[in-house]
Amino acid sequence: MSPARVRPPGAAAGDAGGAARPHHGPIVVEAAGRRRLSERLAELWRYRPMVRNLVIRDLKVRYKNSVLGFFWSLASPLLMMLVFWVVFGLWMGQPGKAFHVFVLVAILPWNWFSAAVAGGIDSIVGNAALINKVYFPREVLPISIVLSELVNFALALPVLLAITWASGIAPTPHALWLAPIVAIQGVFTLGIVLLLATANVYYRDTAIIMNVVLTAWFFLTPVVYPMGNLDAMHVSIGGTDVSAMRLAYILNPMASLISSYRVALYGSNLGPPGQPDLLFLGRTAATAVAVLAVGYWAFLRHSGRFGEEV
Amino acid sequence: MSAAIRFEDVTKRFALARGRARSWKEAFVGAVRRAPRDDDELLALDGVSFELARGDSLGLVGPNGTGKSTVLKLVARILEPSAGRVVIDGRVAALLELGAGFHPDLTGRENVYLNGSMLGFTQREMEARIGRIVDFSELGRFVDMPVKHYSSGMYMRLGFATAIHLDAEILLIDEVLAVGDQAFQYKCRDRIAELRRDGVSIVLVSHDNHAIRELCHHALWLERGKVRAYGETDGVVEAYHASMVAREEARLAAEAAEHAAEGDADGAVDRWGTGDVDITGVEFLGPDGTPHHVLHTGAPATIRVRYAARGRVERPVFGLGIHRIDGVHVTGPNTRLGGLDIPFVEGAGAIDYHLAALPLIAGTYEISVSCYDDTLSHAFDYHHRRFPIHVRGSAGAEALGVVVLAGRWAHHAAPEGREGAG
Repeated sequence: MSPARVRPPGAAAGDAGGAARPHHGPIVVEAAGRRRLSERLAELWRYRPMVRNLVIRDLKVRYKNSVLGFFWSLASPLLMMLVFWVVFGLWMGQPGKAFHVFVLVAILPWNWFSAAVAGGIDSIVGNAALINKVYFPREVLPISIVLSELVNFALALPVLLAITWASGIAPTPHALWLAPIVAIQGVFTLGIVLLLATANVYYRDTAIIMNVVLTAWFFLTPVVYPMGNLDAMHVSIGGTDVSAMRLAYILNPMASLISSYRVALYGSNLGPPGQPDLLFLGRTAATAVAVLAVGYWAFLRHSGRFGEEV
Repeated sequence: MSAAIRFEDVTKRFALARGRARSWKEAFVGAVRRAPRDDDELLALDGVSFELARGDSLGLVGPNGTGKSTVLKLVARILEPSAGRVVIDGRVAALLELGAGFHPDLTGRENVYLNGSMLGFTQREMEARIGRIVDFSELGRFVDMPVKHYSSGMYMRLGFATAIHLDAEILLIDEVLAVGDQAFQYKCRDRIAELRRDGVSIVLVSHDNHAIRELCHHALWLERGKVRAYGETDGVVEAYHASMVAREEARLAAEAAEHAAEGDADGAVDRWGTGDVDITGVEFLGPDGTPHHVLHTGAPATIRVRYAARGRVERPVFGLGIHRIDGVHVTGPNTRLGGLDIPFVEGAGAIDYHLAALPLIAGTYEISVSCYDDTLSHAFDYHHRRFPIHVRGSAGAEALGVVVLAGRWAHHAAPEGREGAG
């Protein structure tokens, strides 16, 4: 018997909806079915409406269909900005121009990352009722979390740009670098989320551990201090003296991303916004793609068993 | 006709994994302590093969925990087999849990769109269906309210309406026909029957043999993960039924023995009397004249009361009281009303109450047994509702109410009097 193609529901294109849908080829479900990646990606592509609806659901529930709800969601990053401005800017006397912008430009992307990771970890276990009852490509759930947090981030961007401009840092065309930086962060975040969501199915305390890890991660990422602060510190690895900054950039893609956001929107302490280092951004992109590949591979390897494990 | 569903030697094991770490903490502690791993497995399905033709309907029967739901979940692709293959040809809709995935803060309408997209439907395809879904659910203006304000009936109705309008080619039903009020239930049954006529393949799991007979052409009897029988519904369901009755007999016999031992031990508030005549036992005899714990509507039955008298007792009256388990007093015959005069009893003996055709409708009944003196004022022995009997319906028997009246119907086309009664 020749293995039949996996053709899940919804394969037909251009179905106006009224008439009965055309019949598709049979679906074969096999022991530890190893389906081709292209088939799984094609299937995922057909489930776009579900991703879209889940993102809309998240946003609707969050903002409760009101404008006030949207402004309320901005309160948290703005208050964080205020706290760091008071603590680091006034109290500890961080030098530099417009310290509140310096912080805000980093807090918003960081919040996207940390909210997506915190929510994404639970996206499989937390939706057990759904996973036990309905078939769909499971990766739809983590993807929709990362995207809805992205929309949240995007909605806050105009506010960030307005505050930046009002603080005397005029926007430049370099702001357009945001698009690739956001894309790289999205890829990296999704990879991490896929990996952690899978781990959480088997080890239910993953979310608790990640809470602590995220806090540590926050301080290891130059959100409230300039990356240059780490340059002065040196670590000895196998007898070689390495700058802590270099180490952070290599080990922590979030550090590279946050620095890039800052270059594109805030500039430096003395200079205006500029173009991020492309080689540097390229290396970060390569890391992000590798993380996504590993995360997706782990997720696909296990997603067939989610129905019985959650 | 090609197969809608084909199981090829499908085995499904679940790891019970009692010893496996469920958290990083346990994994860490386990690594330190070198805890022995316990790789216990539950074999839910063991080499199951069957084929369901397109447009056919299949009823899954079998005791609890024999893999019926596992079969449904494999067809729904929620589970993957451990070995073998499942081939599914057609769009599957599962009425496994109605309204799974509804979000309380979204309106009914928004949830229908969300639910549709979970089954792979586009926005446009759902727009073409939303009108029919809302109509069927009978929710009216409530459909634009958040579902957290819905009653459970409304919730289920919307879930059912959505599931049933998604052009399924294979419909999986797991005991969910009890949706909403009576009228809505009939509507659901009609709709399912309609879908079946339209060539939708149906897989139904139910403990209600009537529903299986009504809806399914074929039945698959699973027992401990293996196919016990597969074929035309009537034959399979009958065989399954017979096996269940035999099993119940054995269970009830054990229970009755236990009960008897208990009854003798405690002071028994449900038994009183002077003890001049001791009722020592009650038996329910089936058509074959042997004791049973399960009798069948319409079949011959005998209630045998065994007694032992202390010395010679003049003109005793034996009586029965039949109560349905919910307390309905069905009837109370006794030997005097029945015209049986017993001059005296001495030593041991038995009284039979014979029914040519048991009129009780399927259910559980409790029998009281008594022995009174001639004046019916002093009880020698009284057992109040101490003997349970289980009645099962049989094919073609009435199934509503308490008793079968065994009346005869006649039809007169002409006005009364012109023609003699038939």
